[in-house]
Amino acid sequence: MVSIPLEERMRTVRFKVDDRPHIVVNAAVCNNCSVRACVYVCPANLFVPLDDGGILFNYEECFECGTCYIACNQEGAIQWSYPRGGYGVTFREA
Amino acid sequence: MAFLSKEASLALVQRVHRLIGIKNGSTPHGAPQPRRQRSAPRPGAEHFDVIVVGAGPAGSAAALVAARAGLKVLLLERGEYPGSKNVSGAAFYGSAILNELIPNWWEQAPVERYLTRRVLAFMTAETSVAIDFRTTRFAEPPYNGFSILRPKFDRWFADQAVAAGAFLLNAAVVDEVLWEDDQVVGVRVRRDEGDLRADVVIACDGANSFLAKNAGLQREFHAHEMSLGVKEVLELDEGAIRERFHLHDNDGLAIEYIGAITEEVSGGGFLYTNRDSLSLGVIGQISSLAEHRRRPYELLETFKRHPSVAPLVRGGRVREYSAHVIPEAGWNMLPKLYTGGMLVAGDAAALCFVAGLYLEGINYAIQSGMAAGEAAVAAHQERDFSARSLARYVERLRARHVLTDFASYRHAPGLVNSPRLQNLYPELIAAGAEQVFRVNGGPKRKLLPIALDTLRRANISPVHVLQDAWQAGRSFGW
Amino acid sequence: MRIAVCLKQVPDPATVEVDPLTAALDTRRLLYIASPADTAALEVALQLAGAEGHVSALCVGPPAADAVLRLALAAGATEARRLWTPFLPLQAPAQTALLLAAWLQRGEAPDLVLCGTRSSDQGSGQLPALLAEFLEWPVVCDVTQITLEGDLARVQRRLDRGAREELEVRLPAVLAVEAGIARLRHASLTGLMRAERAAIPVSELDDLGLEPADLAFPAATTRMVTPPRPRTRPIFTPDSTRPAHERITQIITAGVTRKSGKVLEGPPDQMAEVVVEFLRERGFV
Ligand SMILES: Cc1cc2nc3c(=O)[nH]c(=O)nc-3n(C[C@H](O)[C@H](O)[C@H](O)COP(=O)(O)OP(=O)(O)OC[C@H]3O[C@@H](n4cnc5c(N)ncnc54)[C@H](O)[C@@H]3O)c2cc1C
Ligand code: SF4
Ligand code: SF4
Repeated sequence: MVSIPLEERMRTVRFKVDDRPHIVVNAAVCNNCSVRACVYVCPANLFVPLDDGGILFNYEECFECGTCYIACNQEGAIQWSYPRGGYGVTFREA
Repeated sequence: MAFLSKEASLALVQRVHRLIGIKNGSTPHGAPQPRRQRSAPRPGAEHFDVIVVGAGPAGSAAALVAARAGLKVLLLERGEYPGSKNVSGAAFYGSAILNELIPNWWEQAPVERYLTRRVLAFMTAETSVAIDFRTTRFAEPPYNGFSILRPKFDRWFADQAVAAGAFLLNAAVVDEVLWEDDQVVGVRVRRDEGDLRADVVIACDGANSFLAKNAGLQREFHAHEMSLGVKEVLELDEGAIRERFHLHDNDGLAIEYIGAITEEVSGGGFLYTNRDSLSLGVIGQISSLAEHRRRPYELLETFKRHPSVAPLVRGGRVREYSAHVIPEAGWNMLPKLYTGGMLVAGDAAALCFVAGLYLEGINYAIQSGMAAGEAAVAAHQERDFSARSLARYVERLRARHVLTDFASYRHAPGLVNSPRLQNLYPELIAAGAEQVFRVNGGPKRKLLPIALDTLRRANISPVHVLQDAWQAGRSFGW
Repeated sequence: MRIAVCLKQVPDPATVEVDPLTAALDTRRLLYIASPADTAALEVALQLAGAEGHVSALCVGPPAADAVLRLALAAGATEARRLWTPFLPLQAPAQTALLLAAWLQRGEAPDLVLCGTRSSDQGSGQLPALLAEFLEWPVVCDVTQITLEGDLARVQRRLDRGAREELEVRLPAVLAVEAGIARLRHASLTGLMRAERAAIPVSELDDLGLEPADLAFPAATTRMVTPPRPRTRPIFTPDSTRPAHERITQIITAGVTRKSGKVLEGPPDQMAEVVVEFLRERGFV
């Protein structure tokens, strides 16, 4: 079937997960953010809004695209870098 | 290599500087960039003539040119292999350019299909009108374009640089450039003992352009200047591809979609044929995705379900999903292209051409990479790595028509992302076409009344249309 | 201290795709890694050897397997060598062990051979024991901890149900470690560059003093043993006539009554009789 849920699509991608996160989200800033741009723009759906107004972020299945930090207009919310050499996403055909 | 005279080149450089210099110093938050901490390389760092950061098409081209000239070249790539982090559609229209570097390159490179058919489709939610261009003249060497898959292509291209003598090091992320006085003299890799020295550092690190920002050559980007592309590779039987897209052999087609494909989000879609798969994806301006709260993978689903796309992708199995950003604003976001000891090329220099029917970055990346490689070689011949000497790079870009393309199309991005062009005109074209083609027993109407009628219904004045036509002419026509 | 580490190149499980219709593996989409237990062994080796020690990395595999040896060199291994022969059958722990043993018996033998307890692809876990057999050295598998005291290794190994066993082994020995006990260090840039520049020497059968015939072991019979499946239990539904808290307790315990042992008493013959009868009743003998 051509239409598939995101989780299944993500399973086609290979990630070599480092034990240290390359992106760190500052909860203190996000708690006061009403825009929530990151939640909508992230192509891997890694930002999940929580009931208590916070943001849950998981770095493991990240494409390292940079969209989140470009979209977020709150100073200091996202500390963004590439993963260490050899870790992270590996495309085989993209 | 024929260079311009010193005076002519200086004049040229100054002109370009005026153009580029305008927006340097402004940031999205309006404040000037704080001057970053500058570090010098630690003693004992190994020295190279040229260090190229990033083994995408720009980096491999630069490394290839410099290595062929006999320089000691290091090509640093953060991925497990070149291409492992890279995403394009990809329709590669730089065959003739690459042919200069590697004659008959397509005979040895991992190409998918040569493109003989280009389609531009205007979409509404239910309708589509397409301009279909097909020629057999693109089926002859050096060919006009090829569909490629980046992880395979980039790996091959980097291997060509290695064959020419460049030293390729994978799994090495560069975090910053290193300075002595006002001269870039090396880079710092995020590993123990990570400092390296070079006479010339060529930053080819792609769209996020962290090195140029680190060196103070580029500002932070606005969310309206960058687009996000999400893409799928769908496996489909070779026979089915030929049949569905009316192909004979290893020829292929590229379809660009504009209009309702991304709903209210500014952007577009693409579909390219590979040997036994399809590459398809949507591209959306980041600010627009955030504003309309549209998730990129949902747009991709909508795209695949569109009545004119669904039959083309039917039965395809998703082989890989990927995402990458694209610098969209062209001329308006060019960084300062060089400083003492450093050059910036490819997407890192925002040399990616995105405007409606064009989505070309690989060819410009290769051209600018070659120009940067040539500038580095020339600087080595004179043993002068100052900004003045490296200004030659801009000359080389001009000679390759890179800067001229970006300058002459500098109005296109704004126009292409305007709501009227994004949604209204495709809507009008489709609606108009529907009226032309609909047979309902009434009298056949002439085209102009239909057009004016459609405009009236859409509530836009013909004056606006003329203004846009002027803009379009200015952007694409003259 | 001289340590040899055996590394195997395996497909990254995240890239293994099986065609749902033909059950065929899509080999074009595979990416390869060093087997995780082997990289743990490498890290342990680097730590045990210390700055003055000598760690040699060995891999039996085709030219593409140079990648795992470069990984080892980058992390700090002193030298690397690939052993290879086109005559190697596909799944061949015995032949692999034979090649490794042949190499290790030439020249200066190491004090210790470390490897992973089982590879992440085939994972039969035979290699350490076979290698020790060919070398006529002691072997300990499932190792979770190693401390060296002179020519004695104090070793902890994992047993079932969380139990640990402590052993002392006289060197030279083969120790096979668990994947989780160490994470390979991130190589320095100097290490990475040295590894990338290194030429990896290869030894083929000739160099090892072997012949293709040596690899042809007497025909082996594989016996598949399928342990009896636990009997299915009817799914438990709480008794709706009971009060709420009792039903909740029933759900939580899933209606399982804890296993109870039965103590037999009597003369040994009689007790044996009862045990055999018990097993027979349940179909075990
Ligand atoms: C969805 C999509 C579709 C596209 N379609 C097309 C198309 O059809 N045709 C076309 O011509 N163009 C297309 N483009 C544009 C094209 O992909 C880019 O213009 C092109 O990749 C630019 O090449 P580059 O070498 O400058 O950068 P990249 O290809 O991005 O290469 C940068 C390299 O640098 C490495 N790198 C980055 N940072 C570091 C660091 N700090 N240290 C070490 N290494 C680093 C990266 O891993 C990467 O290998 C498309 C882009 C997208 C996103
Ligand atoms: S990351 Fe940025 S956009 Fe997302 S919630 Fe935090 S502050 Fe808001
Ligand atoms: S870099 Fe891209 S994939 Fe990773 S978290 Fe940000 S938006 Fe998501």
